[in-house]
Amino acid sequence: MKFFKILWKVLLIGAAVYAALFAVFYFDLDGKLLFRKVEPWLVKHYDKMERRDPLSVGYNIEKK
Amino acid sequence: MKKIDLKKLKDLDVKKLARDFVYGKPHGERRLGELYEDKTGLYKHREWRGVKDTMYYFNNIWLYNYVMMVGDIMKFGGPVLFAKGLWRYRWLGQTYLPVLHWFDRGLEGLRGEALRASAWHYRAMVCVTINQFMNMFKADGNLRNGEHNDAWHHSIYHKETVWGGVFYPWADKYTHIPMEMIPYFVTCHVNNHTVLNYIDAVQSIGLPGDPCPMCQAEAGLFVLDDMPDCAPFMVTSNEACDGSVASTAVQDWFMDIPLFAMPQPMQFDDPLVQEHCANEIRELWRFIEEQTGAPFNWDLLKEYLEKQNELQRFEWEKWDVAANTDYYPINGVAQALYRIYQSQYGEHYIWHDTDKRVRKIMEKCVEQRINSFPLTRHRVIAWSCAPLYYSNWCTWAYNCWGLNTIINMDSLMFDMTIRTDDLDETVMDMARYHEWAPMRRMAVGGMHHIFELWENMEKFHCDMVMMYDQLQCKGMQGVVGLFEDEFRARNIHAIWMPHALPDKRTVSRAEIRRIINDYMTTVMQEEPLDPSLLDFDDSESW
Amino acid sequence: MRDLKHLIYFENLLQEANNDLVKQARAEGKKALGYTCYFMPEVLLDLPGCFSVRLRAPRSGSPEMATYYMSNRTCHFGRSLMERALEGGFNFLDAQLATETCTVTCRFQEHLKQMDIIQNPDFFCEFTDVPFKKTENSCEHFRKQLQAHVLDLLHEKFGIDISDAALMTAIEEHNEVCRLITEIGAYRKADNPVITGYEFHVIQLVTLTCPKYLILPYLRETAEELKTREPEPRFPYRVRVVLAGAENDDPNFTQLIESCGAMVVADRYCYGSLPGREEIHVSEGQSPLDAVARHYLGTSMCPRFMPKEDMRGRKKYLADLVKEYKADGLIVASNKFCEYWSYERMMDALILPRDFNIPTCSIEKEYVNSASGQLRTRFQAFIESVEIKKIQEGAKK
Repeated sequence: MKFFKILWKVLLIGAAVYAALFAVFYFDLDGKLLFRKVEPWLVKHYDKMERRDPLSVGYNIEKK
Repeated sequence: MKKIDLKKLKDLDVKKLARDFVYGKPHGERRLGELYEDKTGLYKHREWRGVKDTMYYFNNIWLYNYVMMVGDIMKFGGPVLFAKGLWRYRWLGQTYLPVLHWFDRGLEGLRGEALRASAWHYRAMVCVTINQFMNMFKADGNLRNGEHNDAWHHSIYHKETVWGGVFYPWADKYTHIPMEMIPYFVTCHVNNHTVLNYIDAVQSIGLPGDPCPMCQAEAGLFVLDDMPDCAPFMVTSNEACDGSVASTAVQDWFMDIPLFAMPQPMQFDDPLVQEHCANEIRELWRFIEEQTGAPFNWDLLKEYLEKQNELQRFEWEKWDVAANTDYYPINGVAQALYRIYQSQYGEHYIWHDTDKRVRKIMEKCVEQRINSFPLTRHRVIAWSCAPLYYSNWCTWAYNCWGLNTIINMDSLMFDMTIRTDDLDETVMDMARYHEWAPMRRMAVGGMHHIFELWENMEKFHCDMVMMYDQLQCKGMQGVVGLFEDEFRARNIHAIWMPHALPDKRTVSRAEIRRIINDYMTTVMQEEPLDPSLLDFDDSESW
Repeated sequence: MRDLKHLIYFENLLQEANNDLVKQARAEGKKALGYTCYFMPEVLLDLPGCFSVRLRAPRSGSPEMATYYMSNRTCHFGRSLMERALEGGFNFLDAQLATETCTVTCRFQEHLKQMDIIQNPDFFCEFTDVPFKKTENSCEHFRKQLQAHVLDLLHEKFGIDISDAALMTAIEEHNEVCRLITEIGAYRKADNPVITGYEFHVIQLVTLTCPKYLILPYLRETAEELKTREPEPRFPYRVRVVLAGAENDDPNFTQLIESCGAMVVADRYCYGSLPGREEIHVSEGQSPLDAVARHYLGTSMCPRFMPKEDMRGRKKYLADLVKEYKADGLIVASNKFCEYWSYERMMDALILPRDFNIPTCSIEKEYVNSASGQLRTRFQAFIESVEIKKIQEGAKK
């Protein structure tokens, strides 16, 4: 009996998760999150990153 | 509180509503344009394709691919390495997270077998992409404070236009890494915002704006210090154009590692050039032996080429179905991207898995005469090089106008198998294969190649041409007048689609749609299948 | 300085591709062979019985018809040649010996092949494949290409003698032109040269566009004249510059730079003499054709060459020229839409000032330089900056 209760709970949680994921999918919540939050945040990070100045790379004309 | 309009409620066609719920709205009644949010191209909600196809999309495409992406990351190097790469490289973080939206754009409106077959192509491309960037990170000195590990010593860097097949003899010990394929080429399709940084970067150090933007972006990656340091030497090529040759000098400067140039002859019809080209491949192999100390492995080369030949043979079967039946279940964008990716990158297990799945679907379509694109009004051949930021235009064009893109020029490159019974013959075939690379097979070696359009139109039974007009491609710009003359003389409906390859700022996607709309209404005098797709603003979208 | 005796004559020869000397050679039964690129060895087109004409489109305006065929987003030089061909300006050609060495001139030549543009019933256009490296494999390949697509064809179509003896004759004549041009060009190294950059540009161009045997007497005379020519009492320019870059067959461009106060002391551009006017050496036992193939690949400094040592060697070559010709600076000019020189120019402008301390002016130009006012402003500003640098360096010393 206990087993069935647990199974039922698991099934219920599974169904809830599945329904939530479907809602994410259907209402494009993944896209909205990535577009409005994640991408701007990452872009800010990349914009302020310290980068090597490529023009400081030497140009050895004898190099083969 | 809003009042319920009883009259409207009475007028509701419940049967139709139920039918639309179960099967999805039929093409012609759909209003896909109404699903978009203004400017961003995000969906108010994703398309309801009927119960079966919506659940297929949710379970077998959306959910499956998210799970598989995580799986691929675990398989090819793990989440820590992925996170490090994501934090370090703009092209990864900005581009590849919204990959499912790339699926959405390419697969919009598809149903049944076409949805399944096309999605498998996308899945394969995602898998190889993850495999590639994880290979880069495994070897990347930038992620290890400049230290070079064993993977770095076992990687071969090469320009993305060098066909991966020339490295097969070392495939068991060395990983070949096309330098710009993931940081540049694939990014443009998934998220076109990223590449603009690289174009601007190279212009900021003095490059004028008119050279090919692909080569600009490829050089810009180095200027922005956004290229992994993942191999002790590099191999480059003169393909596809003057810009690629010229931008190699920039890459050489900033990479500053030993370089082997493996140019291919321009006049590839000339039987005299074949030996020269084959010798270049042999010289490359000697160079790799010198650099790695690892000997050339003929058995491995044979084994991999035979696997690759299998892929080519299936591609021919696909072309046969596409050309001669209405039952081809792969849409224009999936066909184009998968083919160019697979043939340029070279052997990978996922291509075979995918082909097996697609074969099943295609055979089902042929046997059961399933027409996946029933509202096709025109069979379109797309010619020249495509706008990378709008490769899914063909999905839009079918949904909006019934323009079904059957085949495109890039798919028709590399149109051969390679003999494996004798090394000399193999090398000669590999030389030919390399000469027939994208933007080569039809673009150089004499104008007559670019005019192979007419025979391919006939072969694929197409009645319309989507003529890509890459505004910064000197080779194609140098031939526009003769195309105009021929279109008129042959009475062919051709739509010129201006674009600047990866750079959406030159010609926007909305402008491309407007040009097609104008042609379809004024010249063809046709009505759209989905008027909601005629005009919408996706200027900020990925 | 007193005017050079033949300068006006030379200038007139440059007014038309089909100039008086070309007409004379054709009247003498010689075949006129067009080409556009250094990679088509002119010496092979100057075999007895034929002569080379490096194509130009002097006095070009707006290339309307060519723009229809090649759009307005391709190099103006290629389009101007196309326009001239469509106007009938190249109908004197008996053949075009083409190379696919840069995209737009290639497309121009393909139009000659594809369309019935040249109104000469015997006209043909033949392409030669040119390698991107200077290795043994490339030299061998290039030699075979020249044999098949130039020599054998000239023999087959026009009965031209392509024996080694005939080749040696052509090489000797070619070498004499090179010796004379090198001798004339060397005057530019002097502190107060007896020739201007403009005059040299004109002389170099006539050697490319006129039959060698007809221009040689004038060249010899000019070389003699220069031996005794008196320079200006003092150097009339403010600075000395090397002019490098893409295709440039417009002496007025050189004149524009010089009118701003900078003497062009060295010409390192397509259609220039550095490189281009080095003698061809045939070693003992070597076939003349092999020597020709190796010479043209070996001497070229085209941005088309891809090996690391060639890409980097080009910078050293420029720096060496600046030193050898005692230049104060460098002007790198690329034609709009020229992909090779867009990158090369950008890199020259970054590397030469940084690593060689050479002031560099980077400009983009058109084939027809109607915007000379803007260019003049750029050059004047550059010359001033070089002058200031010289003054500052002088003060430090």
